[in-house]
Amino acid sequence: MTTVFKLDDADIISQGAEAKVYHVQLHPSPSPRICIKHRFQKTYRHPTLDAQLSRSRLQAESRVLVRCLRAGVNVPVVRLVDLDGGLLGTEWIDGMSVRRILGGGDEGVLEDDDDDDVAEEDADEHLQKFAVTKDELMRLIGHEIGKLHLADIIHGDLTTSNMMLRTRMADAPAQLVLIDFGLAFNSTLVEDKAVDLYVLERAFASTHPDSEPLYATVLDEYARVLGKAWDPVKRRLDDVRLRGRKRSMVG
Amino acid sequence: MLSSYNYPAFNSLAHVALFDNVTNAKELRSRLISAATMSGPDGELEREAVNFAFVDASLVVSEMHLQTALLFALLADARTSLRTKTVHSEILWALNPTNNISEAIRRFGVSDSTTRLLVVRVCTPPTSTSPENIETALRTGVAGDAVPLSCLSSFTDWSKLTKYYKLPAGVPHERLIQIVESTVGAKSAA
Amino acid sequence: MVRRRDPLRPPTKPLLALGLEGSANKIGAGVMQHLPDGTTAVLSNVRHTYNPPPGEGFLPRDTAEHHRQWVHKVINDAISKAGISMHDLDCICFTKGPGMGAPLQSVAVVARTLSLLFRKPLIGVNHCIGHIEMGRLITGAQNPVVLYVSGGNTQVIAYSRQRYRIFGETLDIAVGNCLDRFARVIGLSNDPAPGYNIELEAKRGKRLLPLPYATKGMDVSFSGLLMATEAYTTDKRYRASSTGASDEEDIITPADLCYSLQETVFAMLVEITERAMAHIGSKEVLIVGGVGSNVRLQEMMGVMAKERGGLVFAMDERFCIDNGIMIAQAGLLSYRMGFETTLADSTCSQRFRTDEVAVAWRA
Repeated sequence: MTTVFKLDDADIISQGAEAKVYHVQLHPSPSPRICIKHRFQKTYRHPTLDAQLSRSRLQAESRVLVRCLRAGVNVPVVRLVDLDGGLLGTEWIDGMSVRRILGGGDEGVLEDDDDDDVAEEDADEHLQKFAVTKDELMRLIGHEIGKLHLADIIHGDLTTSNMMLRTRMADAPAQLVLIDFGLAFNSTLVEDKAVDLYVLERAFASTHPDSEPLYATVLDEYARVLGKAWDPVKRRLDDVRLRGRKRSMVG
Repeated sequence: MLSSYNYPAFNSLAHVALFDNVTNAKELRSRLISAATMSGPDGELEREAVNFAFVDASLVVSEMHLQTALLFALLADARTSLRTKTVHSEILWALNPTNNISEAIRRFGVSDSTTRLLVVRVCTPPTSTSPENIETALRTGVAGDAVPLSCLSSFTDWSKLTKYYKLPAGVPHERLIQIVESTVGAKSAA
Repeated sequence: MVRRRDPLRPPTKPLLALGLEGSANKIGAGVMQHLPDGTTAVLSNVRHTYNPPPGEGFLPRDTAEHHRQWVHKVINDAISKAGISMHDLDCICFTKGPGMGAPLQSVAVVARTLSLLFRKPLIGVNHCIGHIEMGRLITGAQNPVVLYVSGGNTQVIAYSRQRYRIFGETLDIAVGNCLDRFARVIGLSNDPAPGYNIELEAKRGKRLLPLPYATKGMDVSFSGLLMATEAYTTDKRYRASSTGASDEEDIITPADLCYSLQETVFAMLVEITERAMAHIGSKEVLIVGGVGSNVRLQEMMGVMAKERGGLVFAMDERFCIDNGIMIAQAGLLSYRMGFETTLADSTCSQRFRTDEVAVAWRA
């Protein structure tokens, strides 16, 4: 079924592999505009299969978001789920992605940014605007992921593009919001948590080579949040690093 | 007295009013029940007079909470997939986290002891009833003080909400509001 | 972003390489030529396939025995078809891994012997890199996301900084293995290949049966899917001998199962490939490996690529399926960068990851 909402090209924010993201005035002003993620049809897939997948993924994603909020993890509030139309409406997070704050290159450039000084200056400027230090930002990241994993939720695609620093209101503390739970799932396995962390570690190394040492701070805060649960994750993370996440295959 | 939300995508206009110190909740409830079964032109008139969603205002935490439920109902209506009889009862159903219709109406609808009432009227198309007619119906129907919608958040009964939405303890209201709104927002995936 | 200079200089004289491949059930030999003007030529590409009887897979011992029986003929044919002599060769390239141990060793022994006999440098080649370099050569794809799908491998690969990096892969069995095993379950022939017979059978399928769709990020998993497909063969609606009845009848045919299996499995592969493309911002896809010759997979990949404004590069079975020429091509590229495998290092490895190889010849 097609969508009943008029999703205007003017409001399109991004187009990923599976979904387009819009910024839409869903409720009449002065209600804030909403972020709408539209899982569009994949024509290469059998239509029946495609419809089933779209539904079940939308369902899974919205449920995970609610579970996150209940577990005290900062994620966008769910505003609308339209299974027939393939739409997920969430709170629009005012702010900036950590990727941009840290002066990471354009989306879609693989480990290959020949960074220039301009990006570096921007990073300092951005951090100033949000009134956080790099170190604090790293702690915020570690803190949210720690809460997420304590709730046995795996994000599945932890990159700095999927973390937003919310624009600060007056004296409110800085808030980091995790977004895009399209690949998230529930798991109690240490392996899944370690891989989640490893994916972020790789993302840091590739998009923010200069910030790589700071990643230790992310883990430090994560460890503090996890408490006793940290040791097994740490051991597994060391394993995952060694085998580079993937096992060997037989030809 | 009325706040109006325009939803052009659904060719609908929703009128909302908030009342405090309501004294005739019991009467409203029995009118709602009897209107459903009345026959003839009198029945039509009576049904029109109570053609609203009467919501217990102490269980709606924010305007967004209401709008989220409203949008759910409008969408279900547009997709002809209403779970309840009308778009108005669908709002009550959307507010309740379980799938039990009578429980939703019992919990979130008007009860004999309700003193704070949120009233919603969905007009599809927007011109189907004039705001004046709606105001008149409300003035004669609801015995209470019309107050601005901004009062809504001060009416919240957190102990009831905690029970209904199974809210975690020791969490600031700000976060609880997010959980409550999300529960309604994700209702169709629950 | 500054493009790095192409590190691969044109050769100063014509170069000839013999490539020997035998990591699975095919023994292949081919001669590759690189000329100073930058052009290349496939001088010969000879192959012989070991086909076990229907219902059986190929076992390492029998496969190695097959390779030992055929290796002389295959090499002789390759050399004579190329119109050269062994003395003209500049290097001898062989598959170091990954693959099945015994077949790999049976060919490596021959490569070492030839190297010593004719005093030619030996080049050990990673089988997966062979597929990728052959694919780039044949299709002209510049910097594609590579989907490598065969009986033993399922990987989504992209090049970055002197490595072919693995973005996603199977968490259990390879896609070709999944298809082959199902072909055996329903008793399809191994000739010319079980996967090919599945493809033919699927064309007559009408009904899409629900199967588990298991993608996890950029990874996939097939074992549960295979079990679920197999389970349908014990369903009371299953008719093993039916070739597709009228539409009204509620029955499941082998063709329906092949169709459902292909549709589901290939959708998963296209999905993770697209995710990798979106991630690195590439518009090209290259499909390599035996399963890459499946026309339905190529078609689905084509639809996806077209929607992204990109292109899919695929090859026919001559180059998709394991062959000697791909080993010669990848080997010659290493040779031109000054790489050589010493006799002591010329061992085989069943496990040899794509991302272990330093890709010196690319910018």
